[in-house]
Amino acid sequence: MDIIVGSLVAGLLFGMVLALVALGLTIIFGVMDIVNFAHGEFLMVGMYTGLLTAQGLGIDPLLTLPVAGGVGFLLGVVCYFGFIKFLLRGPMVAQLLGTFGLMLFLRNLALLIFGSEDRALHHGVLVGESFDIGMGVIVSATKLAAAGLSVAAFVAVWLLMNRTRIGKALTATALSAQGARYMGIPTERMNALAWGIGGASVTIAGALIVNFWSVNPFIGLLFTMIAFAIVALGGFGSVPGAFLAGLVVGLITEIPGFWDFFVYTFDADWMSNVPMTSFKYMWVYLAYFIIMVVRPRGLFGWKH
Amino acid sequence: MKSMIRVGMVVLSVLALIGFMAPADVLAAEEIKIGVIYPLTGGAAAAGRELRAGAELAAEIANTAMADLPMTMARNEGVKSLGGAKITLIFKDHEGNPTLGADLAKKLIHDDKVDGILGCYHSSVTKTVSAVCEQYGVPMINGSSTSPDLTMRGFKWFWRTTPHDTLFTKDLFEFLKGLTEGKVRGVSAVPKKDIMTLASACEKTEWGSHVSDLIDRFAKEYGFNLKRSMLYAAKSADLSSEVRSLKAAKPDVMLFASYTSDAILMVKTLKSQKANPKVIWGQDAGFETPEFRETLGKDIVGFLTRSVFIPRVVEIKKISGQVNDMYKKKVGHDLSGASARSFTGLQAWVAILEKAGSTKPADIQAAANDIEIPGSELVVPWKGVKFSTSGDELGQNIWSSGIIGQYQLDKDGQIVMEIVYPFDVTSADMIYPLKGF
Repeated sequence: MDIIVGSLVAGLLFGMVLALVALGLTIIFGVMDIVNFAHGEFLMVGMYTGLLTAQGLGIDPLLTLPVAGGVGFLLGVVCYFGFIKFLLRGPMVAQLLGTFGLMLFLRNLALLIFGSEDRALHHGVLVGESFDIGMGVIVSATKLAAAGLSVAAFVAVWLLMNRTRIGKALTATALSAQGARYMGIPTERMNALAWGIGGASVTIAGALIVNFWSVNPFIGLLFTMIAFAIVALGGFGSVPGAFLAGLVVGLITEIPGFWDFFVYTFDADWMSNVPMTSFKYMWVYLAYFIIMVVRPRGLFGWKH
Repeated sequence: MKSMIRVGMVVLSVLALIGFMAPADVLAAEEIKIGVIYPLTGGAAAAGRELRAGAELAAEIANTAMADLPMTMARNEGVKSLGGAKITLIFKDHEGNPTLGADLAKKLIHDDKVDGILGCYHSSVTKTVSAVCEQYGVPMINGSSTSPDLTMRGFKWFWRTTPHDTLFTKDLFEFLKGLTEGKVRGVSAVPKKDIMTLASACEKTEWGSHVSDLIDRFAKEYGFNLKRSMLYAAKSADLSSEVRSLKAAKPDVMLFASYTSDAILMVKTLKSQKANPKVIWGQDAGFETPEFRETLGKDIVGFLTRSVFIPRVVEIKKISGQVNDMYKKKVGHDLSGASARSFTGLQAWVAILEKAGSTKPADIQAAANDIEIPGSELVVPWKGVKFSTSGDELGQNIWSSGIIGQYQLDKDGQIVMEIVYPFDVTSADMIYPLKGF
């Protein structure tokens, strides 16, 4: 039973962090219908920011979140004014290829600066610590903190979007940019703000993830794919959908753990020979594929 | 003036005569170019740095006369039979990528015109690189890849100095058997039921996959219960579900085949999940790099790893101590299994070239098949280097052997590795069981 409970807890904790990863993607898409292929690379920037701040300045990795958030916000805004606003004038394919180019640029820039080596944090208040929460289930302190802080960041963004004037202006821009302009909302700034908030969310998630996950310049691809799966599952543009779908995807990545439960319960040789741990992300992509085919606007899609 | 011209003419004539008489190879071989393909970036970069430093030190010794070093290659400056030709190493970085490795081998052969190749650490890369060498008839010496398959392909241009994983894995099971028979120094006979359940996790390239199969094979042969056997991607950034799965098997002994970054991640995850086996054994590679030791510190006390070189060897072998001192001066720490093996790989190259007296591939091939380097000249504690020229394992060094080391704390609180197997050369009592995280 400890396998089931352990996998459930691990899946939910990871899902909370993944929800924050997907949040940025869904905000950017929700406001201006752009799919940001460089989303995972933004996360990579957050991971390197957390890593360098902690290693270079000796600040505990959990306290580097404001720096990572600031870097992400700035990166998002610079990207928007630098070239996304120009892409918006072109056809959809130009926008897709533009963010794809941004992905390649950021990845190769990281490769140039940091090399291809995996880097990880080995020191920090919580690094290596864990709690026994009973039933033989051990929870890593860094994962627990990352999940808690992710939920806090998620709630903060949700409040910003739903309880502030600026958030309502963002939502109005998302629903109809032209109508929002008629109402005097500076939609250009709202677009930049969406990129800024999107960038900040994902870089904060990156700085949290680097507490238990090593980073290299290629790490973005995995998270871009996972974020796409979450956004597709939760509905393009839906903030609550991203959260729920994040939890679901987190649990999907734990399928090998649930499988182990049956392996040990039934002591079935053929089951233990199935390399389930190797397939753990395959189930995420399968879910993404099925959702796109069966319900293209996602489970909680609110736009269009 | 006339006499000066006459003397000049005589000197020129003599030189011209020598030029005609001397074999073309001798004159051409002012330098011998060896292409060295190692993982200098990527997850195994730390091991790559060790490998590079080991090969560089061997080249330095071969190129400089060092009278106080009792090693044939240290007697002369360069390769004597090739007119004192110096060894030049051309390093390439394969990043752990077999396709890139093969491309680099072609580049070394075509563009750099190397006389031979040394490499490549990852067995998967050694496999593709050796296939290129076989295709072009270029000699390749492998000092550090341990997949048994590599010398079972009937290749004519491939020689391996290191022992392979069949031997290492058999050593492990002999060690476990010895543990139940009370042969391990400092430990009373452990009832077999106490260490009966095993679980293994191996990275899933050429090397790890074979180790996994070998663990499965020997577990059956020696009567142990391998309850969980998994393969994982060495480039995994998170191994939580893998560790949970291993823990769920409640194993007494955990066995790993990992490269550096995944070995560190695996141990960190084992610690955060409070895994509590009685024995943890690593199949060298990641479990032996200085980075593994420096990053994890006291968390690895009690861990076992198979090896071919442990600094304690210097206490029983004078030449190892001498080379280790040189290495330490150059790099800042003791020789590791990786650097000792790359050193030995290049040493074999120099001995073969010396014996061949030529850089023609056919001459090198004949010399390699006939070479015998005595153990007294090696830094590693082997009987020597002698390659098999018949049977299933062509090119395998039949005089190589392995040891098992255990991380322990010395009296100054520093982490050192002690020899616990073979039983007749142990350097300390074994820590058993692990005290847990």
